Amino acid sequence: MRLPLLLLTTILINTPAIAQTVVKGRVTDAKGRPLPGANVFLKGTYDGANTDSTGRFQFKTRRDTATLAVSFIGYESVAKKITLTPPEINIPVRLEEVANELNTVVITAGAFEASDERKMTMLKPMDIVTTAGAQADITATMNLLPGAQRVGEQEGLFVRGGSNLESKVVIDGMIVQNPFFSSLPDIQSRGRFQPFMFKGTSFSTGGYSAQYGQALSSVLLLNTNDKNANTGLNLGINLVSVNAGYDYETKNSSASASLYYGNLKPLFALIRQNVEWVREPVFAGSSLTYRLKPTKTGMLKIYGMYSDSRLAMNFRDPSVESGPAGPGKTPIDQHNRNAFMTSAYTDSWDEGRWLLNAGLSYSRNTDDMQFSGMDFSRFDERTQIRAVLTRLLPGNNSLLVGAELHNLALQNGVMGARYKLNDHYAATFAETEIYVTRKLAGRIGVRGEYSSLINQFNVAPRLSFAYKTGPYSQVSLAAGQFYQTPDYRYLYLNKDLDFERADHLILNYQIIKNQRTFRVETFYKNYAALVREFTGQNGTVGPFDTNPYRFPIGRTNNTGNGFAKGFDFFWRDQKTVKGLDYWVTYSYVDTRRLFSQYAMRTTPAFVSNHNASLITKRYFSDLRTNMGLTYTFTSGRPYYNPNRNNERSEEYFSDRTPAVHNLSFSASYITAIKGNFMVIYASVDNILNTRNVFTYRYTPDHKTRYAVGPQSYRSFFIGGVIMLSKKAKVDVNQL
Amino acid sequence: MKTLIIILSTILFTSITPVWAQSEQYKQAMTDALATMKGQSEKTPLPDMLATANQFERIAGAEPKEWLPRYYASLLYVYLGFMGKEATDKDKYLDQADKYLKEAQALSPQNDELAVLKAYIAQSRMVVDPMNRWQTYGQPFQDAIAEAKSLNANNPRPYVLEGSGLFYTPEQFGGGAKAACPILNKAVEKFTTFKPISDLHPTWGKSNIEPMLAQCPK
Repeated sequence: MRLPLLLLTTILINTPAIAQTVVKGRVTDAKGRPLPGANVFLKGTYDGANTDSTGRFQFKTRRDTATLAVSFIGYESVAKKITLTPPEINIPVRLEEVANELNTVVITAGAFEASDERKMTMLKPMDIVTTAGAQADITATMNLLPGAQRVGEQEGLFVRGGSNLESKVVIDGMIVQNPFFSSLPDIQSRGRFQPFMFKGTSFSTGGYSAQYGQALSSVLLLNTNDKNANTGLNLGINLVSVNAGYDYETKNSSASASLYYGNLKPLFALIRQNVEWVREPVFAGSSLTYRLKPTKTGMLKIYGMYSDSRLAMNFRDPSVESGPAGPGKTPIDQHNRNAFMTSAYTDSWDEGRWLLNAGLSYSRNTDDMQFSGMDFSRFDERTQIRAVLTRLLPGNNSLLVGAELHNLALQNGVMGARYKLNDHYAATFAETEIYVTRKLAGRIGVRGEYSSLINQFNVAPRLSFAYKTGPYSQVSLAAGQFYQTPDYRYLYLNKDLDFERADHLILNYQIIKNQRTFRVETFYKNYAALVREFTGQNGTVGPFDTNPYRFPIGRTNNTGNGFAKGFDFFWRDQKTVKGLDYWVTYSYVDTRRLFSQYAMRTTPAFVSNHNASLITKRYFSDLRTNMGLTYTFTSGRPYYNPNRNNERSEEYFSDRTPAVHNLSFSASYITAIKGNFMVIYASVDNILNTRNVFTYRYTPDHKTRYAVGPQSYRSFFIGGVIMLSKKAKVDVNQL
Repeated sequence: MKTLIIILSTILFTSITPVWAQSEQYKQAMTDALATMKGQSEKTPLPDMLATANQFERIAGAEPKEWLPRYYASLLYVYLGFMGKEATDKDKYLDQADKYLKEAQALSPQNDELAVLKAYIAQSRMVVDPMNRWQTYGQPFQDAIAEAKSLNANNPRPYVLEGSGLFYTPEQFGGGAKAACPILNKAVEKFTTFKPISDLHPTWGKSNIEPMLAQCPK
């Protein structure tokens, strides 16, 4: 019987497991506030409980040691080993909030984002297509945002006192050489890219990341979609063009193809043109997209497009006294062919801790152009490769390094003479994001660039900080240096130029709460090493030439400089009036620069001090129609008046054009025909038929002044698109 | 010696019981949690709903090989996703729903009920902000519905989701009662023959569509 006794005692000794222990405690947040509804349990067992309204919990267990796990939605889970000694133990638990958009600061100074991926953005990608007055053109929508100045007769982004040459359009990290249809004198060309191609848009008005360069003022970052929105065939027709697209999808890949043909003759017959067309624009093009997911984490995207367009017009040029088209007119004939291909590969390793973004792109653009029968053809070709490697570190911190290489070949014909150049541009950059706390974050970056053409290096530091002042608000500060290779038109004749530079300082405050957004930003921009032209006799500054197509022949150097300062604000409200979404922006800029052919420091002719816009949208469910009304105001711009005493700074560019007003309306009607989704849209631009003037030009005798205005005053547009696919269903569930 | 045998057998017995008792315990815990869940509706206070989700999470923690507790935890988070106040709250719950769906899928791939759940999550993501999200979640919803149907042609729940999705879609987008009713009727038809594998397996859906069916032509 000794053995059983021994066994019995062994069992008895082991019995503590049978005795019950009461586990109790309180779960609180970092500030000691109770967290009701938290889940408290011993891992791998059924023993556990929820916390009550005071954050307390209590349950029984027979275990002697266990891992206590505590979890609560929105908080970091906690697990700790505990020893359970009967009759009861008391365990206080503190939980840390998970990093999210409400408690973690985001570096935002200078950036204006439209994205579905991040929740707290000021715009959604849909806003780009549904804004009246923007004609579904990405740049036109950006021109309604704070920081942008509207310049009616030229394409591109004019940001905070900067010219359109100071901003770059970037697709998936790659600079787009020809983001707009070929420019024509005094006509604003559209962007080449459809807004539906992109899942995210970020418009930077300054202080942008070291990942990007070659823009003194602004970068517009566009990120292409990872998948097709629909599958099947879609057809579109409008007053100027017809188009067809086909989307195809398999489990790991997708492809889209599109074709379009357009002719502006019918539209121009309906809408009175302020431009004398000899041959209305005719254009055709196609695009192809291919996406492949070769592995679970990898993604390859290839996008290619080709377009061909032709036109002829008589450009009103007061400097012409006699010519083939008569006095005051220059005949222009243009044939543009543009090819663009870009590819991007992204992948991640080690559970997303390492990220790679790589890309290759090629573009080739030919403008066969004749001005008064003389050859003014242009050609450009850009090849670029880029790779960025990012390492994510604990606590939201990250470090990235990257490099890019470009090869650029340019040709420009000027009155029969041909100028050529070739530039190898290389850049490397490193940037780190550091979260000191969830409320305070910093981004420190540096970018180095080299251009073989001018044989110059630059090193540009970039810094930004953001501090979260409340759950919905934050302040940000950004500063940095930005370099740009001088306009290539200067470099044909002078390769001894240096990079132009801008220094930015930006302070931003924003609050996003309850579908209302308020953002205010103030900035100071210093310009240095800007290119100046000396086109006059003996290398002096020549008379100001207002011809938009002039070619700068003359001495140039980097002695230009200047500043721009101001503030802008943005208010968006989707809440106060049910169903109505509106936003208001106002931008103020004060700038004076000595650069280009300007003889002294002055406010450049493209700058308007005040820009304001009011955008409204509403969906009328009874009418199945989305309607929008947009009003924009642009204050008068300086223009050159040869009748002034232009030696005196008080008189130089002292005249101002009248302010520009525009009220526009757009509507889209959504329906289904036999299960096929269909949208019909219509818009009216400049409803009030305001005779807007953008700038003035004088005849050589200085006696007559010509106003340069829009291509047409009040105009309208109508079109529709149908998706011939049963799968292209729109599920607007209102469960 | 007899005592020894008794003692030994007792030890053996007690050491065996956990294994046997655990599955009993699992059944009991699931039955309890399911009973709580059945008593809840969209009118249930949010913390109570969360408590039920916690209950399933605890079962999931104790049963690393069972997909059902994960399924129900995820389903409850989908309901919570509909109930949340702000978009950020809703997405927070739906992130949690996604997490449990992934865990369940790892345990039971090719499961029609999990495909239904995947569709349900996509649908509730869309409902958070339909105008901006249909492009992102519309296709995954359709795909998951198709997947569920192909995995089990007799499951009525893909039809419940598809039908109710159509029912609440405005007519101009190809929705409305007219488009939804044939599919809802198909769900009703499937419910008459559908038998869950066990008492613990999903049975929901019938009462969800009843108010919609009332508007369908008889």
